Amino acid sequence: MIEARNLSKRYGGTLAVDDLSFTVEAGQVTGFLGPNGSGKSTTMRMIVGLDAPTSGSVTVGGHAYGSLRFPLHEVGALLDANAAHPGRRARNHLDWIADSNQIPRTRVDEVLGVVGLGDAAHRRAGELSLGMGQRLGIAAALLGDPAVLILDEPINGLDPEGILWVRHLLRALAAEGRTVLVSSHLMTEMALTADHLIIIGRGRLLSSGPVADFIENSAGHHVKVVTPDADVLAVLLRNKGATVTVDGPQELSVQGLESQDVGILASGAGLTLYELSTQRASLEDAFMELTHEHADYKGTTQSLESSQT
Amino acid sequence: MTQTLVPRSVPAGVERLPGVFLAVCRSEWTKLRTVRSTMWALVFTVISIIGLGVLLTALVVGQWDHRSLAEVTGFDPLLYSYAGLNVAQLSIGVLGVLVMTSEYSTGVIRLTLGATPQRRLLLGAKVLTFSVVVAVVSLISCVTVFFICQALLASKHVGVSITDPGVLRAVIGGAVKMVLIGVIAVGVGTIVRHTAGAVAILFAALLIIPGLVQLLPAPWNNDITLYLPSSAGAAMSAVVRFPNLLAPASGFLVLFGYAAATIGAAMVLLVRRDA
Repeated sequence: MIEARNLSKRYGGTLAVDDLSFTVEAGQVTGFLGPNGSGKSTTMRMIVGLDAPTSGSVTVGGHAYGSLRFPLHEVGALLDANAAHPGRRARNHLDWIADSNQIPRTRVDEVLGVVGLGDAAHRRAGELSLGMGQRLGIAAALLGDPAVLILDEPINGLDPEGILWVRHLLRALAAEGRTVLVSSHLMTEMALTADHLIIIGRGRLLSSGPVADFIENSAGHHVKVVTPDADVLAVLLRNKGATVTVDGPQELSVQGLESQDVGILASGAGLTLYELSTQRASLEDAFMELTHEHADYKGTTQSLESSQT
Repeated sequence: MTQTLVPRSVPAGVERLPGVFLAVCRSEWTKLRTVRSTMWALVFTVISIIGLGVLLTALVVGQWDHRSLAEVTGFDPLLYSYAGLNVAQLSIGVLGVLVMTSEYSTGVIRLTLGATPQRRLLLGAKVLTFSVVVAVVSLISCVTVFFICQALLASKHVGVSITDPGVLRAVIGGAVKMVLIGVIAVGVGTIVRHTAGAVAILFAALLIIPGLVQLLPAPWNNDITLYLPSSAGAAMSAVVRFPNLLAPASGFLVLFGYAAATIGAAMVLLVRRDA
């Protein structure tokens, strides 16, 4: 279990993490989501004691990370997949990590097998592909057979097969009762992997709860109506308490009513409908909606579009 | 790929700090011996100490009969034998700097500190492990070059025996000087965190500052020079007492002081800074 209480981190004038409190439970995969630069990596570095919080505290299994001796038996972390001396062989990279926490060398062979690097063990880290480097980083995190795993963007650089493998591995680790915290900026990947979501933007907690709740509560769920009598229907719908957005001269977006209610209302008033359909919000949309105002780096497609028209 | 994890039973008891220290020393030894730069730097060190010492001593022996009486009477039998130490200190210095800066440049420092959050203990283990490696290599080189060079000098009857007063001390002093320079380098690498910057500072301290100090008006130039790391180190491996060098024991204390101060500052910064 990981517990963060009022965690804050200030770098110079910027508040990278702002009064963040959350709990990561054992036995499930917790997705840690946020746009780039939202403070995910900083938070993870504070969990494993690399960065000191400006205020607040975080504990792993009830202990401050810095108080652990041989912490790799408790916590395995992948924070930077490229963190390996390029001239050192993959096997030796795991050897020194194992030595530092009195993990037997036989375990190095085991984890190399688990991540599928058995045949590449003799290769120098600098000669490994991006995906193989990622696997080596995951192997290092698994070395101490830890009860808590913290992985920062573990699927970066992996091919589809590798992504599937990570997904199965994380689910298997959680099923064994371990605490698994995985950061990502890809909502769709987390929807497939995580049970629970912690979403942050600009260092602040935006949402925390089960994945299913997040989808249901998201505001993107709406009914699309295309009708020549859009003005009339909009008034009728609003009278019924629905929220109506005009998307075009003949197109409405309705929230607060199901599609069958909209259909009954329209036929009762003798209105013609060209199209009536329920639009389910994708997780990506829900995530975008939640984090949009909190993204530090937004694209500028809107200004491009307007300059073309 | 589809292999599952084999659960391993590890007693999760609280490990005592001496146990942690030994484990980190072993880990640091594994790190040192599994990169090629270590081997190359140590080979260069051995070749510098033995090769330069033998070469210069052979040249002196060849020219011996043309020397003036003044040159012969003040002759330190180890001066030319240990000329290579001045070059070897640079390769040991670079290796010492890399012990720390290569971790920062490759991101490995985050794995290191994640595996050992006790940062003072970590730096202590790094310093000790590196010191033992430098001590072994330097001592073997210093003893070897001593015997070869004294055999050459014996032909002119100016050689000394290892049992003569001050000689054994000077031979060991040469190796200890290398260790202390290496420790200073680890400290500078920890403080600066960038290879180029740390190497520049170290080389400036060892090579450039002595030249600049000589430009100061007398007696400041000679008084300050006595206490520079390079002069303090030279005093440790001298048999004859030169007027421009401290006594061997004083030289050791001065160089040890530099090493202790550098490591002390490095520990404070390593603990205080985010990784």
